[in-house]
This record gives sequence, structure tokens and C-alpha cells, in this order.
Amino acid sequence: MEQLLVPMMCKIDKVIQETPDIRTYRLKFKEEGLMEKFDYKPGQFVELSLLGAGECTFCISSSVTRKGYFDCSIKRAGNVTSDIHNSLEEGDEVGIRGPFGNWFPLEELKGKNLLIVGGGIGLAPLRSLIQYCIDNRNDYKDFTILYGSRTSADLCYKEETKEWQDNKSLNVILTIDKAEETWTSNVGVVPKILEEVVKPVIENTKVITCGPPIMIKYTIQSLKKLGFADKDIITTLEMKMQCGLGKCGRCNIGSTYVCKDGPVFTNEQLKNLPDEF
Amino acid sequence: MNVEIFVTDKAGLQKFYEAIIAKNETYAPVEKFGKFDFKHVSSLSECDPDSPIEKTMSAKPLFFPRSAKILKYTADSSGTTVKETDEDPLAGKRVILGMKHCDARGLQVLDKVYNWDYIDSDYQKRRQNTVVISTRCDKAGTHCFCTSLDYDVQNLDAMDVLIVKGQDGKIFIKARTEKGEDFLKSNPIDSANSKQHPASEEEMKKQYDAFAASFRLKMNYKEINENLSKIFDTPEFENVSSNCIGCNTCAFICPTCHCFKISDEKIKDSGVRYKCYDSCNNGYFTLMAGGHNPRPAKYRRWRQRAMHKFVYYKERFGENLCVGCGRCTISCPVNISIFEVVNQVAKSEK
Repeated sequence: MEQLLVPMMCKIDKVIQETPDIRTYRLKFKEEGLMEKFDYKPGQFVELSLLGAGECTFCISSSVTRKGYFDCSIKRAGNVTSDIHNSLEEGDEVGIRGPFGNWFPLEELKGKNLLIVGGGIGLAPLRSLIQYCIDNRNDYKDFTILYGSRTSADLCYKEETKEWQDNKSLNVILTIDKAEETWTSNVGVVPKILEEVVKPVIENTKVITCGPPIMIKYTIQSLKKLGFADKDIITTLEMKMQCGLGKCGRCNIGSTYVCKDGPVFTNEQLKNLPDEF
Repeated sequence: MNVEIFVTDKAGLQKFYEAIIAKNETYAPVEKFGKFDFKHVSSLSECDPDSPIEKTMSAKPLFFPRSAKILKYTADSSGTTVKETDEDPLAGKRVILGMKHCDARGLQVLDKVYNWDYIDSDYQKRRQNTVVISTRCDKAGTHCFCTSLDYDVQNLDAMDVLIVKGQDGKIFIKARTEKGEDFLKSNPIDSANSKQHPASEEEMKKQYDAFAASFRLKMNYKEINENLSKIFDTPEFENVSSNCIGCNTCAFICPTCHCFKISDEKIKDSGVRYKCYDSCNNGYFTLMAGGHNPRPAKYRRWRQRAMHKFVYYKERFGENLCVGCGRCTISCPVNISIFEVVNQVAKSEK
């Protein structure tokens, strides 16, 4: 076990300041040949460590279809993430273990309309899926992305969302919670915009959502109201983890190991878990 | 398996133990301040393989150490160098004397979680390289309830050699596994005092019956499994957990608790990463960066503990995550008994 807990070192290729408190760290494995072998799927996560500060769980926010690197988008939230923000620069090193966990049901999504609903840093795991689906665009039908945050400054991946907006094969809707002078797009929380602006087609559509717990809760309520079935609503759970290997017991919800059986679950599966949230 | 049962007496057993200790890397219960913990021993006088269950720590740390080094690292201008730690001190061939039956059961339960999906190779190596010699208790401790759980105390595969103290000073020694058989071949029992006895099996059974009759606590585990799985929302969890001070002693001494945390220790530009025991009773166990905690209240953490032991682990791996050793109850500073907790909650209305 102890060997499975030893990370591989990565060099930070680039640091992108996404919002005042979110940075994307673009990483490359130090050891030759490892980057090419690093195979992962959208929705999987890694254990990232800043040696001396600790190890934390982050989803991979890029897609394996973009070669030569992978991204972790990190929000300043606790001790380790603060240390990461305070001390890490381009050229520095971090440890990586993974990839771990399950992934979005890529096969099941084929031939379906995709509706991606994200809030705040919750866009990170969805970005991996979005990039993957853009790179395999012909496999999917209508592709809608709804993304919201508290303020316009808190919107993540600003450059990339512009590219998505310019992409004719995508329907991208951005929203912020409260009106701002320079903001010309939608104003209102994600579930409200979902019901009033997006008005999604239910037939043959899969919804993939991630965001703060409170947003997920109300988004699922709205989706149910719109008529989506539980099995067509897919989300990815946030739970404290440490080993990522189904051993340390931290991420248990009932008999489910979020790190092994998840983090991706359908609402149907979530309903069968004990109500710990 | 039709295995020879050796019959000896107290002196023969002593000689057997002495020979084992002289010849093998041996661990046995060693007394300190009235409590016994499994330590490396080099003579029989240092230890007591017949230590009473109520005063003996579990042998779990010999397989899952209280803290284990994962790595050492040094950082300088050329980058970070990660070194895996030195050889595992518990991985070599060794013998454990005086392990309790409930601890053997604990190993069987732990095998399930360590051997699914990712295999814990360190744990597995420690298991494979260890010969477990276990003496059956004479009578039940005040808080013991091993005989009323989902296993047969007489048939435990994690025990390589079984020792039973029968009547009239007779002592029965029997190999239970192939590893145990091989061990007895290379560590023979003093032949002057040993002979095969046709009625041995019966006498061992008799000892078991007397032992089983000495239990104060009896539990209907099936009823507990079933009832607990239905009453997640019962307020009774608040009542049973209200005294808990969150010291986590119960988890640290439990033969089956296996939650751990990973923590770093840093000294200037170098440091060590450890894997250490942790417990779901810790308030910070599920606390996430940013402040969200799915189990902020004590009763929720106790619910997790009770349900993991009697519902979740059973669902996932088919076994109760409790061996009925009663150690958590003996050591609890506020007298919370897992036996009472699950019985009381199982009886409550939703």
C-alpha cells in the first residue's frame, strides 16, 4: 500500500489565473515517457501533493485528447490549496497519484443531446468532458453548455468559454447571480436560467451537472420539474478523500466508495445512497 | 483436513513456546503498566501468551501499523527528490504467539478490504509471512460477545496453529492451515509429553462449550443488521452518542477499524509523509476545504461508525466489521458500549 501512496513528480508548465481565487496548473510528468502513458477519462481525479503541505483531491480539468499535458484547476479554499496558491510557480514541482475513480459514461452519451450545467469551480470536471466531446463532436447531437457564477469576475476559463461561444456547433449560455453594469448576458441563478432561458429538450438528452452543493440541489429540482428522468441526470460528487484506492474509509457514503464507485453518479444512484448531505 | 492433534501439558507447552522464540522472529503480548501489547520478544519470561483478553491490545498494528512512512523527500534548486522508505520492518518471516481468536477474525475481515481492487501488497506480505498461533480463551471477558456474531470462533482460517487448554491440565495443539502444519513440522512439540489422542476433538469441543456458556452478552446480529439498515434517520443515534468525547480510542484499539490519514511532516527543505490511524469519530474526518462537512454533528459520526460496522461493510464485503472483542467498551472513558449502542438503536422506532 505504501508504494501505491508514493506520487510521481510533475513540473508546472504554466499557471493560469482564472479568477481571483482559482488558478489552473498545467502539469507535465518529469519522468520521460510517463506523460504519453498517462491515460485518463473525463470525470476522473488525481491526488495532487505539495510535499510538506499535504495531498488533496482534484479532478483533471483537461481532456486526454489534448496531448502533452494535463490541467488541475485549484480554488483557494483550505490549508493545502492556500499553500499551493501562495508558493507554486511555473517550473515548480508537485506530486501526482492517479488517475482514480470512474468517469462520465462516454459510450452512453454517444448519439445523445448533451446539456452541461456548471456553477463556479464546478466547471472544472465538466471542462474535461466538454473538451473531449468537442474533439469527438460528431459522436454527439445538440450540445448546450449553461455556466454560471456569482459575479463575472468569478467565471472560470474566460478565454476558453469565448472560444466555445464562437464555436457554431455549441450553444453556450453564461449567467451571473447579480446584475453588473458591463454585463450584457443573462442574470440569475443557474436553475432559474435553466428553466426560463435554456428550456432544454428532454427527449434523448443527458444532463451533466456540477457545482456547489446548493446549486446541484436546486438544479436537480429544476431538471425534475422540466421532466428529466433520474437516470438521465449525471453529476460528480465532492467528498473528502485521501487514498483514492478504496481503503482509507474517508469517502464512504453508505457502502459506496466515492473514490472507486464514483465520483460520477446518476441521480438514480444518488437517491439510493443514505442521506448524508 | 484430517490433522494430527498433539496433546501436551503445561511444561510441554512452555518448552514449545521457548523453542519457537529461540528459533523464530517472535511477537507476543508484553506487559506494561498492567496492559499487554504485542512486541518483539527474545525469551518467554518477557511475555505472556496467555494474557487475558480484557487487558490485551489487538495484534492489528503488526499488520496495519499505527503509523507507517510512505516516503521521504528532499527539495533543492534542482528539484524535488522522492525516496521510498526503507524496508518494511514487519515484512519478514515471523511468528505471533498468544494472538486472541477475535484478532484472527479481525484479520479475516480486514483481508476483504485490503484485497479488493487495489491490493495492499504490504499488508498481504505481512499476512503471508506470519504464522499466527492463537490460544482459545478460558472464559469470556465482561464485554465479550464473539460467540454471537457472524463467525464460528472454532473455525478461523487466519489461525495457523490453535491451542486449547482442556481439562486435567491437558493442552491440545492443532495446525489449522498448511502454513501451520509446516510450522509444526519444523517446530515440533516435545515428544515426551505429546501423543495423539483419539478423543481430542471432543475434548476441545467441550472446552469450547464451557467457554461459550460463560458469555454475559448475547446478540442477535441478524436482527441488528436488518433493523439498523432501516433506521438511518432515528433520533436514537443522538441519545446513544451524547456522552462521546470524540477521543477515538475505540477506533485505534479496534481489531477491524482501518481508516487512515496521510500527513506530512516538514523540516526545512526535507520531510516525511506518513500513513496514520484515523477515525470516523474525528470531527475533521470529512471536513472539506472551504468548510463543508457532511458529518458535522457527533451523532452523525456515531451513526457512520455503527452503520459501517453492522450494515455498510456487510453490504459491501459480506461481513460484520465487528468481532465482538469488547475492547472499545473497556477502553472508552465514558463507558459507551458498541453492543449497547447497536442494540438500543436497532430497537428504536424510526
